[in-house]
Amino acid sequence: MGLSLVLAAGLMTGCAGSNPEEQKPANEQNSGEGNGKANNGGTPAEEAAKEPTKFSFLLPTTVSSGYHTRIPDLNKDKWVLKLEALTNTDLDVKVMEDAKYGVMFASNDIPDVVGSIGGPGSKSMSGSVESGVFMPLDDLLKEHAPNLMSAVPKAAWETVSYEGQIYGIPEFLKSPSRRATYIRTDLLEKTGLKPPTTVDEFLEVLRAFKKLGVETPYQMRENFKYADIVLGAYDVLPYKDQFELVDGQVVPKFFDAENMQKALQVYKTMYDEGLIPKEFATISSTDFTKSIEAGKPGMWSQNASGLPGYRTTVKAAVPEAAVDIIPSPKGPEGKGGYFLYSPVVRTFYINSNVDKDRAIEIVKFFDWMISEEAERFFSVGIEGDTYTLDAGGAISYKFPATKEEQEEESWRSGTMWAVHDATYNRLRLALNEDGKATLEAFDNVLSQEGLPGIGFYPELNAFSKYPDLAAPQPDVGPKLIIDHMVKMIYGKEPISDWPKVIEEYKAKGGDEIIKEATERWNDKSGAVMIEHEN
Amino acid sequence: MIRMTYQFASSRHKWKFMRKYWPLYALSLPGIIYFVIFRYVPLFGSVIAFQNYNIFKGIGGSAWVGLDHFKRMFEYAEFVPILKNTILIGLYDLCFAFPVPIVLALLLNELRIMAYKRIVQTVVYMPHFLSWVIVGGIVVGVLSPSTGIVNHVLSLLGVDPIYFLGENGYIRSILVGSGIWKDSGWGTIIYLAAIAGINPDLYEAAQMDGASRLRQVSSITIPSILPTIVILFLLQIGNFLDFGFERVFVFLNPLNSENGEIIDTYVYRAGLVDRQYSYTTAIGLFKSVVGLALIVIGNKLSKKATGEGLY
Repeated sequence: MGLSLVLAAGLMTGCAGSNPEEQKPANEQNSGEGNGKANNGGTPAEEAAKEPTKFSFLLPTTVSSGYHTRIPDLNKDKWVLKLEALTNTDLDVKVMEDAKYGVMFASNDIPDVVGSIGGPGSKSMSGSVESGVFMPLDDLLKEHAPNLMSAVPKAAWETVSYEGQIYGIPEFLKSPSRRATYIRTDLLEKTGLKPPTTVDEFLEVLRAFKKLGVETPYQMRENFKYADIVLGAYDVLPYKDQFELVDGQVVPKFFDAENMQKALQVYKTMYDEGLIPKEFATISSTDFTKSIEAGKPGMWSQNASGLPGYRTTVKAAVPEAAVDIIPSPKGPEGKGGYFLYSPVVRTFYINSNVDKDRAIEIVKFFDWMISEEAERFFSVGIEGDTYTLDAGGAISYKFPATKEEQEEESWRSGTMWAVHDATYNRLRLALNEDGKATLEAFDNVLSQEGLPGIGFYPELNAFSKYPDLAAPQPDVGPKLIIDHMVKMIYGKEPISDWPKVIEEYKAKGGDEIIKEATERWNDKSGAVMIEHEN
Repeated sequence: MIRMTYQFASSRHKWKFMRKYWPLYALSLPGIIYFVIFRYVPLFGSVIAFQNYNIFKGIGGSAWVGLDHFKRMFEYAEFVPILKNTILIGLYDLCFAFPVPIVLALLLNELRIMAYKRIVQTVVYMPHFLSWVIVGGIVVGVLSPSTGIVNHVLSLLGVDPIYFLGENGYIRSILVGSGIWKDSGWGTIIYLAAIAGINPDLYEAAQMDGASRLRQVSSITIPSILPTIVILFLLQIGNFLDFGFERVFVFLNPLNSENGEIIDTYVYRAGLVDRQYSYTTAIGLFKSVVGLALIVIGNKLSKKATGEGLY
């Protein structure tokens, strides 16, 4: 009851003045006039003399701490001021946790430019794109953002479209393969084995680790999150964007009962032989991180971008540790790796109340973000402050040393750098050894693995009808499926029952999901094939 | 309890009375305003349970769907097990967790050394200030089959480690038990206050009559705090289906959710994660109506049995 009351209270306030026409973006009138003057003045207006474009700009975060929380007035922050100077804008920057967007939309106080994590159909967008809160951008982009149009991959544009029109500018991933298999090379050398290339070799290495006395040969975790190496090898990942076309029907990959049973059997073997922690069903992300940082596991799965971090933290705990990324072990069909990410990390929308002149400038602002000037600014900051150039033009960057400085860097090159290829920051990574190793992993290992699939943007309607069958997060499977998988690994249900699980899924609403998915795929409406760009 | 109702000779008298004691009325205002704004006004928001609510259209613009959401709730395949879990866990909580603060308060009251009593009191109510996330972390750690102290002790006794959180059979005990650890100390405060209000003459008289400590407790202390116990019991009944979301959520995993999932955690999964405002409001409304019915029935029974009641 408490829950519903709080919810209802939030909604009530939302109703006051819910007429979208009534809301006025804060700066609309002023800047509209300003632009008009600058453009229509009798004298030939010089670029430099043009008045800066004013707009309010909302950036999403997932955390309630960090650099932006320490700055009393973000609009006077040195990085924001520099960004304004570089782009001739006058920004009113706000930062909000993604989880609080529902409240913002309910209160109807919506900034001129709203950035949000994921695509237009994401939960935090609360259906605002479908309700016409933001403007379609096709014409603006074609005319004023030629660089973006060519740089952003097609799948990313598809993801930010609704009913055939583009509604947002994506922060995109050119390479959707993000996660990698880590191994303690020093331990591997002690076993005398080669890096595992198949699932059988993978098990052999884990057994050898166990013999060496490694506490956790493979770092398992609850709900298979960052612990899905075997599911990947058999290509049965139960995720949101892991549907596939089988006999004219679009079905989830775990419908492949044969491979799913094999994968579960491998996990069961690992469980029975103590190659994964016996209590993996209650190992939270905190326990997982702590265990890795304490140097306990021999192998684990994580984002490839974490390599420099692991090299530092694991070495701090175990001085002789050597951490490397290796190609993920392959299953019988030669597949392996992890799920390919949706090509859209964040999306930036323009409020439909923004007038056309300003919308043009906003689109240009984002177009600038993929320029070289922008890359240098966001990656290494300001010359003479955070980096210097030597005579040859080589950058020497003042690497962040303290936690505060790291947060400041991540504010500049993570949060503020709205639109760009977020695969990795080549300029920044190429500056030191661990960074170069990361680049190498991306270019040589990750580009060769990962599992493509069909995803739906916006999400299937049937998902909200059957929450037990919908993936709660992009990298967590539906409750119904995960429950059975965990029980089978713990031996509480026979693995041979998997076909029954599929029947149960179908009976409890899965048939409707498959029907809608197949229709959407055939109609090409919001069904995105997520794969390597080749 | 003695009830007094003031009879005024005329409305003029009443007005005068109110003028005289105006500061008291003024003091009550913030409370009344709080309840009207934050408790009564939001009640009207419950109408969205009968709509397909869309935050951009508001209550005025959303389509009415009648009882569809209630129908969907009762048709949900897992609804019966979830309701069963909720009722069972609520019942265990009422049977095992509710009496603990009373016993604890009686025990604390018998302590003679003041300093010791204070220390014990503080220690037992400290856990109340920890959030459920932290309590969850502690309990998961303590019960861990590889590193937990409970299993360490069991292994010394020659028992194989038990994965307590991985068994359907233990989850309800863990839920109720962790609640007792966290909140029973806090619950004693109200009983201790009630005990402090008992007239010491009664004890003195009893001692003269040669009553033992135990006899004093059973014949004076318990009857004196009975009204408090009854009122708290009735309030607890009203919250019967509101076991709480967080305290269950932190312990749930695929191995124990069969016995552990309650309405609140289902609402979280189906609604807040998935923006189903109307559906979850319908479930909330269902819970509230059940709570109201229980409180009315409980109050009637209690009035008949003990003469005590909420209203």
